[in-house]
Amino acid sequence: MELKVNQDNCLGCGVCVVACPVNVSISPEVSGGHGSINEDVIMMVENGFIKLFNEDKCEKCGTCQMFCPVDAIWLE
Amino acid sequence: MIANTKEVKDKDFSIKRSAEEIRNLSFKDHVCIGCGICESTCPVSAITLDDIGAIVRTDSPNSKLSVNEDKCVLCGMCSGVCPADALIFSIDSQPISKINSYPKYDAYAEIDDEKCIYCQKCEIACPREAITIARSLPDRSKLVTGEIDINEEICVYCGICEEMCPADAIDVNRTPEAESISVNMDKCVYCLVCKKSCPVTAIKAACRICSYGDYDINMEDAVTKGSSFIDDELCIKCGWCEGVCPTDAAKVKKPFEGTLTIHQDKCTVCGTCVDVCPCDVLSFSKPSKSGEIVSNVAKDDQYCIRCGACAKACPVEAIEVKITNVDYTPTKSKSWIGKFEALKN
Repeated sequence: MELKVNQDNCLGCGVCVVACPVNVSISPEVSGGHGSINEDVIMMVENGFIKLFNEDKCEKCGTCQMFCPVDAIWLE
Repeated sequence: MIANTKEVKDKDFSIKRSAEEIRNLSFKDHVCIGCGICESTCPVSAITLDDIGAIVRTDSPNSKLSVNEDKCVLCGMCSGVCPADALIFSIDSQPISKINSYPKYDAYAEIDDEKCIYCQKCEIACPREAITIARSLPDRSKLVTGEIDINEEICVYCGICEEMCPADAIDVNRTPEAESISVNMDKCVYCLVCKKSCPVTAIKAACRICSYGDYDINMEDAVTKGSSFIDDELCIKCGWCEGVCPTDAAKVKKPFEGTLTIHQDKCTVCGTCVDVCPCDVLSFSKPSKSGEIVSNVAKDDQYCIRCGACAKACPVEAIEVKITNVDYTPTKSKSWIGKFEALKN
């Protein structure tokens, strides 16, 4: 499976960024709703849209897909 | 040339080789718990476990397992070590679980019908919906005794008793000139509500239960009868039925002994393990009072089968599952013994 995003659907809410367990373990402050302090996380919101930075770190748990309100991020 | 042929139907598959004997490996996706024991046991690395977390939590069309039929040597080891019996290996249509020379887990779940009182607690608790308890209740009319009599000369057909009756036993026809009242004795429980609510005292009723009525009841008529059924295909011997059974009728023997450790400091509370666990062992901790700080994930250890599906699915390696003992039937084959022993860590 591969992590995919669709920026046309994305509202830039950032729920996937803070819900992603891998992001939280890389950059703990995101679990509190803050932005990551570095670009080591899997995904971040950039200019209002979701962007994948390190999709190779994805463990394919499906948490981002479960929480995304608009089907802008999914595993396929 | 002898080749393995693979047949795929929805998420299930079947691999077959026809030579002197017909060897067949079939996979049932809905039974698979995603533990990955088959993947690590396969001697030729033909099995790939897909991303179980994503499959269980989203409506993914992917099958939990895939087997490369060009690599598969149809040895049957994956089927032997599968704790859920999702992989079935058969030789000339005989599953190896029925062939004595092949080892299998010494595990079972059974319900003793002599002890079962058909309370259905196990059916409700079973995380795999593998249990069906069918029961037939006694006739309610045989459990109550009493007398009721309506004096139609006094009755004004007001319908109050009909509205009050909790058992729907009274029928009042209030059409002028066609008025009537009747009591369905099979439904009446002699609660006397009608008698007490009648504004004209037209009803005479007595409940005999309290004074001497118990002797009127044949206790054989008061017994709930039934039967229990465990679907072997779905049962994973987690022990919930045994844990909730009030009469010790359910008995479960698990295939593995071991430990489940949650590293709360690594856990990011994504809930993947909670959704993946086939035994409803893991849950989000609930505070007992407001403001209490609880651990991230709680475990109900007695129902864990140590399959390791949670540890495999955890994206941040916060769960560790260790198998310390494997219970399997004896075999002469060293390679099979080796594979069963290799499950321990």
